[in-house]
Amino acid sequence: MGLVIGIDTGGTFTDLVAFDPATGRIDSLKTSSMPSNPGQAIVNALSEGGIAGGEIATFTHGTTVGTNALIERTGCKVAFLTTRGFEDTPFIQRINRKVLYDLRWQKPAPLVSSRRLCLGIDERMGADGEELRPVDADEVRALCRELRQAGVEAVAVCLLFSYVSTEHEELVKSILAEELPELPVSVSHEVAPIWREYERASTTIADAYLRPLLGRYVTSLSQALRDVGMLREWTIMKSNGGAMLASAASESPVQTVMSGPAGGMTATEHVARALGEPNVLTLDMGGTSADVGILVDGRQRHTTEYEIEWGLPAAVPLIDIKSIGAGGGSVAWVDAGGFLRVGPRSAGAEPGPICYGRGGTEVTVTDANLLLGRLDPGYFLAGRMQLQSTLLDEPFARLAGRVSMEPVELAASVLEIANENMASAIKMVSLERGHDPRRFSLLAFGGAGPLHAASVARVLGIPRVIVPRFPGVFSALGLLLADIRVDKVWTQAFRSNDVDAALVNRQFDRITERAIDELRQEGYQGEPEIRRAINMRYFGQNYEHEVEIAGGVLDDDGLADALRRFDALHAERYGYAIEGEVVELVSFKVTAIGRRPALDLAYRDEPAGSPPVTRPVYFRGTGFMDATVVHRSSLAIGETIAGPALVEEAGSTTLVEPGMTVELHEQGALVIETGASA
Amino acid sequence: MSGPRLDQVALTVVDNYLTSCCRDMGVTMMTTAYSPIFNESLDFSCVIFGPSGDLLAQAEFCPSQIGTIKFTVDWTIEELGLDAFEEGDVVLHNDPYRGSGHVPEHMLLKPVFWEGELIAFVANVAHMSEVGAKTPGGLSGDATEIYQEGLLLPPVKIKRRGEDVDDVWRIILSNHRTPRVTLGDFRAMMGSLDLAERRIHTLVADYGLEFFRAASAELMAIAERRMRAEIESIPDGTYTFTDAIEDDGISEGSYPMVLTLTIDQGSVIADFTGSAPQAVGPVNAIYAVTASAVYNAFLHLTDPTIPRNEGCYRPFTIIAPPGTIVNCAFPAPVAGGNTETSPRITDMIFGALQEAIPDRVAASCGGTSSPFLFGGIDPRTDEPYAHFHFEGVGWGGRRGLDGNNMVVTINGNCRNTPVEVFETRYPAFRIESYRLVTDSGGPGEFRGGLGGERIFTVTVPEVTVSALLNRMKTEPWGVLGGGEGAVGGLWVRRSGAGEWRTFVEEFGTMSPSKFSGVTLHAGDQVKILMPGGGGYGDPLARDRELVRRDVGEGFVSEGAARAVYGLTGELG
Repeated sequence: MGLVIGIDTGGTFTDLVAFDPATGRIDSLKTSSMPSNPGQAIVNALSEGGIAGGEIATFTHGTTVGTNALIERTGCKVAFLTTRGFEDTPFIQRINRKVLYDLRWQKPAPLVSSRRLCLGIDERMGADGEELRPVDADEVRALCRELRQAGVEAVAVCLLFSYVSTEHEELVKSILAEELPELPVSVSHEVAPIWREYERASTTIADAYLRPLLGRYVTSLSQALRDVGMLREWTIMKSNGGAMLASAASESPVQTVMSGPAGGMTATEHVARALGEPNVLTLDMGGTSADVGILVDGRQRHTTEYEIEWGLPAAVPLIDIKSIGAGGGSVAWVDAGGFLRVGPRSAGAEPGPICYGRGGTEVTVTDANLLLGRLDPGYFLAGRMQLQSTLLDEPFARLAGRVSMEPVELAASVLEIANENMASAIKMVSLERGHDPRRFSLLAFGGAGPLHAASVARVLGIPRVIVPRFPGVFSALGLLLADIRVDKVWTQAFRSNDVDAALVNRQFDRITERAIDELRQEGYQGEPEIRRAINMRYFGQNYEHEVEIAGGVLDDDGLADALRRFDALHAERYGYAIEGEVVELVSFKVTAIGRRPALDLAYRDEPAGSPPVTRPVYFRGTGFMDATVVHRSSLAIGETIAGPALVEEAGSTTLVEPGMTVELHEQGALVIETGASA
Repeated sequence: MSGPRLDQVALTVVDNYLTSCCRDMGVTMMTTAYSPIFNESLDFSCVIFGPSGDLLAQAEFCPSQIGTIKFTVDWTIEELGLDAFEEGDVVLHNDPYRGSGHVPEHMLLKPVFWEGELIAFVANVAHMSEVGAKTPGGLSGDATEIYQEGLLLPPVKIKRRGEDVDDVWRIILSNHRTPRVTLGDFRAMMGSLDLAERRIHTLVADYGLEFFRAASAELMAIAERRMRAEIESIPDGTYTFTDAIEDDGISEGSYPMVLTLTIDQGSVIADFTGSAPQAVGPVNAIYAVTASAVYNAFLHLTDPTIPRNEGCYRPFTIIAPPGTIVNCAFPAPVAGGNTETSPRITDMIFGALQEAIPDRVAASCGGTSSPFLFGGIDPRTDEPYAHFHFEGVGWGGRRGLDGNNMVVTINGNCRNTPVEVFETRYPAFRIESYRLVTDSGGPGEFRGGLGGERIFTVTVPEVTVSALLNRMKTEPWGVLGGGEGAVGGLWVRRSGAGEWRTFVEEFGTMSPSKFSGVTLHAGDQVKILMPGGGGYGDPLARDRELVRRDVGEGFVSEGAARAVYGLTGELG
């Protein structure tokens, strides 16, 4: 039995976690990312870890190749084919604006680079899927010649009402395949079978935009892995928290936009189960951003609301994670009104925070942590990087002067604002959906998460903070644990007083079969777990909520039960239900999950390491206090330390505020009791 | 824990909390409402007020509503008295002659109590798609009295101590053509107020009431200070500008609006003395709408990070003589004052200041919501339907930047209704096309944004339509040598006919753009043209590469590139 490997490529670091099922041993390491050649960083990580390709049993990858190409606009030249008359859809968008009172605001540019690459087909489906004008195959063939001449690298097809009737899109797709067999084609009913033509088009364009790039990436990484002796199929993490074969991912790249953060949520699910914590909020804070997620009753929340930037949606299934610009590298600045603000801009990896000594001059969150004694300049990344405290004096004095503060007070304010920003994001994923954060535990990971989690928990009144093992490479750990997951959707609206249950069940069976087929194609051999759900709304509403069908079959009882659950869900979210109102059943979803064999991640380490020392750490209200500083590996199970304290380890540092305690749980997690009562 | 200090960190936190609370009220409205005008177009605003009616926070909603709701709330408090509010009450109000923007805009106001004491109000104002006017959807373009514009509601409680006041509900629901949708939308509004009430309770529980009060007062003081500082950066002086509303749906006449703007050491006086007497038709603005439009302009000209609360409005004095188009007297109709006259007033401020602050202004935007109303009986369900359809416009060029193509006019921040939602919800029309219009952006060194065109075909035996458009006769102006954007308008082509004609030519309406209650039949087509934005600066000074790119992209025709921009030689 070989190694189970997870590698997560982030903006700054590439993280590797290797699990040996034979011994139960887990190894991890961080190496620098190489944005110009991300695959090389992966090969480097394997070699640094002393892992030969032949030893690898399974390899799952979390990648930002797609996400970065969307953000940096380095995807391909894509053409957009749509129903004639609607060629300008990507340019017109939804006509609202992001910032209310800003005459300088610019509408976001679509990923399709020119209006001349937006071409109409003289066809039309009606709202009920009835054909109003057929597709003229000759016309489409003529368009193909235009596309070839224009030198496009991929094509996005989005015809009106294709989520109701897929016929025309399928026909256009087959003609494109005949005429332009070498061109990748993304088709809207496959990429995102949702209503609202702009959102569906934008998602489909994003998919096509990434096709050549992700295809090349997967091909070259496969080759590099083969070169080091790794001959097996490997998988990529999707935004929905499931893994898919790399070859399949290269054909639906928009599914990978939240690949990295999805790993973190998958690991969260596992750790929460092991610790017996059903309700968990997560804080994944890295160098440039903080991701916040939620687990309710042990289950992740899923959504389809993702925006490449404001106004450019990519509506694919993803774990509901809220990202904000609050990371270690987030820059502190003073706005025109003299108010101190932090982020969303980040100093990134280059030049990075001032204390990295790479020429950074702007005060960042990491700098504030260092100034206040919360980071050990000699033990950043386990001593692989020396932080330079002396560089901080002048920039802190300068910024502090602008807001009439002392430098330490400024540093404390920077942390406080960053923490408040993260607390707001946590409120968005909890309070707003009817969940009281005080009834949750906060699980912190990412390089900077454990340093801020206790303070964020205090702000929110959260009683318990959990810092899992391997917090610095937690997302990579999640990759080891990812199941294979396929979501399939069938869209047709029914009113609850007139449901064709036989048809619905037939369609459920049909898409279940397709989902299982796909699971097989992705290499899964076992018995899949199937979940069936219906997206519902009160007749008149335009936004739906997913309601799971308990027995999987929609008979009279199943429908009545689903309607009751929809009412309950609506009441939970919005404070009211409209009992007896007609409900629209909008779309039908099947999720097929291929469970990977469970990994035994039990904690077996014996305490080893140096005895605690003390270091002055600044806290608002008390000033500098002596804090206990201990290495995580020196803690024994059940051992408790009173704050103020810092628990250091290779990838992260955990801060325990005065008045709080931290204990090493039997599963190896650090558990901080904040003193807030639930 | 001791009470939190009122430092700038705490103030930022409170401001962000209240602003995100307003945003979340909006999300609740969007996800739970029944009409596309709410759940797709987002034609509503959610705001928080202090206990005496001072605006504390808002988010990215419709500027005209936000500016006006101040007056609506003030009036409500004055008419009912603060003592009238009890915990769990919800007050409904839409009467323009009591401070509402126009009849379709319904305000719900809920008092928030803490330990028995009134500490805040939460409110939303939303454009209901059906209001029981003379024609479906309201905004009847040829109304001559406010009574024709829909059911008027003075401030009345629709909930008293948490219980529905059934009598009032029954009156409203029997006056609207689409009571089921009206009720669904009101529920969404009330749900969003409940959310805000809970959120304010959480804030006060966390920080204490005294802190909440002190922070509110300080945030308003900061906003006022910063607003005055921004106004001080505009050279003191008196500036003038004139524009006109082209017709009122009743007669041919044009209605000039005259602005004399005085900037004086951080204060602003916007004086509309000299503007035309009020119109017979529905293009009149009430005072609150005019004031709101002035605020809107200055909020656009100043730092977007200023906390958007009552303090922002303190530096302004607005003079609008009663009985004029900018401050009409009862019972003149007002529907278009809020949708059409409002953006024109806002743009006039930019026009007046173009020489004084050329870096900050923009040329005129298309300046119309292109309101197109329709209704009938849905043959699929036999249920009545009504819709207020509106469109985007091109925005004006700015120094260094072309205007945006197709964005909703400056008094709103609504979204369009997707074709797929529109045709699913409304059986009356099929949409044939929705596109940008070449050469509609005003020429300039920085070109105006493009307007658009939409063509509908009637797919039911009959449907009743009304309209209240503007800018069909007079072009959106440019600044500093920039040219005019293209006009918009409305055309009809009867089933089987070859030519587009105006509604005047086809149906004998008084105005081509403002009328009500015209019946169209299966196969008839309607075309809405949306105006472009004005240009900024001399088109001959435009970067030649940009002119060539515009031709390449079809934003500008080759003919116009040569004739207007003076492009010579190869297009490349």
